[in-house]
Amino acid sequence: MIAKNGRVSPRKLRVNGTTVPAMRLAVPSKGMEEQTLEFLAACGLKVNRPNPRQYRASIPALPGLEVLFQRANDIFSKVTEGSVDLGITGYDIVQEHRHEDDNVVVLNTGLGYGACVLVLAVPEGWIDVSSITDVAEISAELRGRGQDLRVATKYPNLSRQFLFDNGINYFTLVEASGALEAAPALGAADVIVDLVSSGVTLRENRLKRVSGGTIVESQACLIGNRTALRDNESKLTVARDMLELIEAQLRSREFFTLNGNIRGESPDAVARLVTRHSEVAGLRGPTISKVYPKVGGEEGWYAATVVVQSKLLLQAVETLRRAGASDVSVGKLQYVFESKSWSFEALKRQLHERPDEE
Amino acid sequence: METLEVQRVRGTLDAPPPDDGRLRALAGTLRDYFELSGYRGIDTPVIENLDLFLRKSGEEIAARMYAFTHWNRKLCLRPEFTASIMRAYVNQLQDRPLPVRVHYAGPTFRYEKPQRGRYRQFTQVGLECVGGAGPATDAEVLAAACGALEAVGLRRYRLVVGHLGAVLQLLEQLGIEEHGQALILNNMENLARRRADPSEVVGRVLAMMGFGGDRANDEHTDDGADSENGEPSLLPTLLAEFGSEGAAHLAGDLLGRANLVLEGGSRSAEEIVSRLVTKAGRLDPSDRVRQAAEFIVKLHTIAGPADEAFGALDRLLADHNLDRAPLREIERSLGLLGAYGVSPSEVTVDLSLGRGLRYYTGLVFELHHEGSPGLTSQVGGGGRYDDLVRALGGRDGVPACGFSFGLERLRLALEAEGIAEPAQPVVDVLVVPLTPDDEHYAARCAGRLRNAGLGVELDVRQRGVRANLRHADREGIALTVIVGERERDQGHVMLRDMRTREEVDIDVADLPDAARGRL
Repeated sequence: MIAKNGRVSPRKLRVNGTTVPAMRLAVPSKGMEEQTLEFLAACGLKVNRPNPRQYRASIPALPGLEVLFQRANDIFSKVTEGSVDLGITGYDIVQEHRHEDDNVVVLNTGLGYGACVLVLAVPEGWIDVSSITDVAEISAELRGRGQDLRVATKYPNLSRQFLFDNGINYFTLVEASGALEAAPALGAADVIVDLVSSGVTLRENRLKRVSGGTIVESQACLIGNRTALRDNESKLTVARDMLELIEAQLRSREFFTLNGNIRGESPDAVARLVTRHSEVAGLRGPTISKVYPKVGGEEGWYAATVVVQSKLLLQAVETLRRAGASDVSVGKLQYVFESKSWSFEALKRQLHERPDEE
Repeated sequence: METLEVQRVRGTLDAPPPDDGRLRALAGTLRDYFELSGYRGIDTPVIENLDLFLRKSGEEIAARMYAFTHWNRKLCLRPEFTASIMRAYVNQLQDRPLPVRVHYAGPTFRYEKPQRGRYRQFTQVGLECVGGAGPATDAEVLAAACGALEAVGLRRYRLVVGHLGAVLQLLEQLGIEEHGQALILNNMENLARRRADPSEVVGRVLAMMGFGGDRANDEHTDDGADSENGEPSLLPTLLAEFGSEGAAHLAGDLLGRANLVLEGGSRSAEEIVSRLVTKAGRLDPSDRVRQAAEFIVKLHTIAGPADEAFGALDRLLADHNLDRAPLREIERSLGLLGAYGVSPSEVTVDLSLGRGLRYYTGLVFELHHEGSPGLTSQVGGGGRYDDLVRALGGRDGVPACGFSFGLERLRLALEAEGIAEPAQPVVDVLVVPLTPDDEHYAARCAGRLRNAGLGVELDVRQRGVRANLRHADREGIALTVIVGERERDQGHVMLRDMRTREEVDIDVADLPDAARGRL
């Protein structure tokens, strides 16, 4: 079926007797696969994959959404051409492939996993090199001998821009397939631009990072096709639901909920004890509720519940102790929703702005 | 299936009729004026070897070029003309007597954020005087620029004149090494006219020179890249005492004991160690870079109308023990310019003018149109670049000077001033064959009229008489020639005057004269 604008219109699916347009989400099939599935499950978007060898799956929580497993490198192009509507891929890939006329919006720049950095690395033996400025000088020296600085990379666009921005004009990008890190040792390149997560691979290949040599800090991100989301209300709704859950789940990671039983004369008195340290007294303040004693139990106990930032956990526990709490139970939160989904608001803005042009 | 429309590339413009005609006419008027000044046209390819623009254009342009590798050759679309013209001169014009005076016009390409008056493909119209030295040439080039502006009707424009000599001398005096000099020259515009925070610019320049604290600390380098603070450390100082070979040996031995290898692919151990030693011996340039930045800012603050600025500039240069020759050159050039009879509405002398290009060595200038309040637009600029011929592999000591207009910007300025577009060729006569059988005869009539120098449009769509007359009216075509079977048989035509609506039946041989007589 061909829509009026020449795009292939999405297949229709029948769910619960109603027809909804099929929406497609591409997730990485290699590398980040496991982490992605874990992440989605944590967001309440568990992927149901009947058979691990299949490349199609579904998310029961989002009927009408089809999940496709694809190579992280292909996901950007699938999203920009519109054969999938949403995609999860590395931010480094997005940065390398995106251009100003592309049809891609970034819905969420950091899903909190798959972290790595794109860096320029030089041979360890270059003991005279500690910063990108040194690399610039060496490229000038090489030029004096009629040579170019050879840079092995799978990220030609980001590399080129980065080199120019750092005053390195004379370079040759060496297209490397496979073991990029070995290129300097094999004499195929002088330096490399590559993704680093732990730094082990660099060390094993006798390479080192230099200061000022970080090009992109990357992690998994969620992208979408601009036209699909702008022109199709039901797709935008699915995207909003995903964003809501993702955002609330990511935010929930920053908080713990604490519960302690405290003895006091009244709820107000207990509240005063708990709110003495305002930073650990919850987002707005504690909730105090009466504990009804078991038959024959003590009267005058109250349960105080606070939600605090993860980094303040122990401080909050201490505050509750000082307030007289005997046992403090701590729970992880599943979601923290704010008054609205900020990433969805940002998405709406992105969908309706086009690059300005005279 | 409907096919998707292909859009033009972002930041580019189409010039449909009559735009194209107007732009060509505008370029034509400018170039005609250059011809009157003794310059002759030259053209060079749009595509060049990337290296040409890397040599002297400076980072600001290099990072914004449309560069690509095609079958393993590095090429680019020209971002400007001067380097191309100089290359052409070095390639094939070096035997001609100097000066070689040439003018040019054509598309140039830069990948910049599109704005009003700034496109990624834009048209430069300009000239170069190769082999012309000193204020006499500078004045000629200034006069050609101002004169051409006046020839297209722009009366209100400001001329800003500067000279790289002052800043270059200061950088030399401060002993800032070449890379640092280039960085500072690149930042002159930021410091002066764009009013960037000087300490921020200094920080950036120092970082690019390898002496920035913030740059080294702003990210973790888990592979042990040490942060540099510019203070010589002990090891390289000691190593320096062993000579390059000995030092390399010693360093290699030390590292070897730590199970590290001193090898760096295409770089030899000696090279690495000797650079380490040189680097450690460098002095922290922070103070000197700061002084240079302050000097540039000061130059800008005392810039002003020519008659007032010279005194203050003279004193400033004297205070810094700098040769005041640059000022004398400007004075002589401007003095001569007066004799050429051009009259900018304002002449400003500003020694902080840098133009963002690396190859300028002497006098530089810009032409600005003062548009709506707060919005000034540069319509052109240029200057002297005495080293470019040599940098491109030509003979030593061939001075050169030139400038270019941005055609699209100039047009915006003219529009803002409400200045009429230059006259364009128009269609004088519409020739209408009544039937396909009349087309041969109609084509012959059109040919006769064209040979007589008239603009002729021939109906090729069989529109019919009424529709053709309406078309002629709408397009302002003065005359219509209608030919049918009767006219064809008699060797006649029906000539209709669209204003008076008078029709005459005349012999085809009389057509050109009759038509011309009615225009």
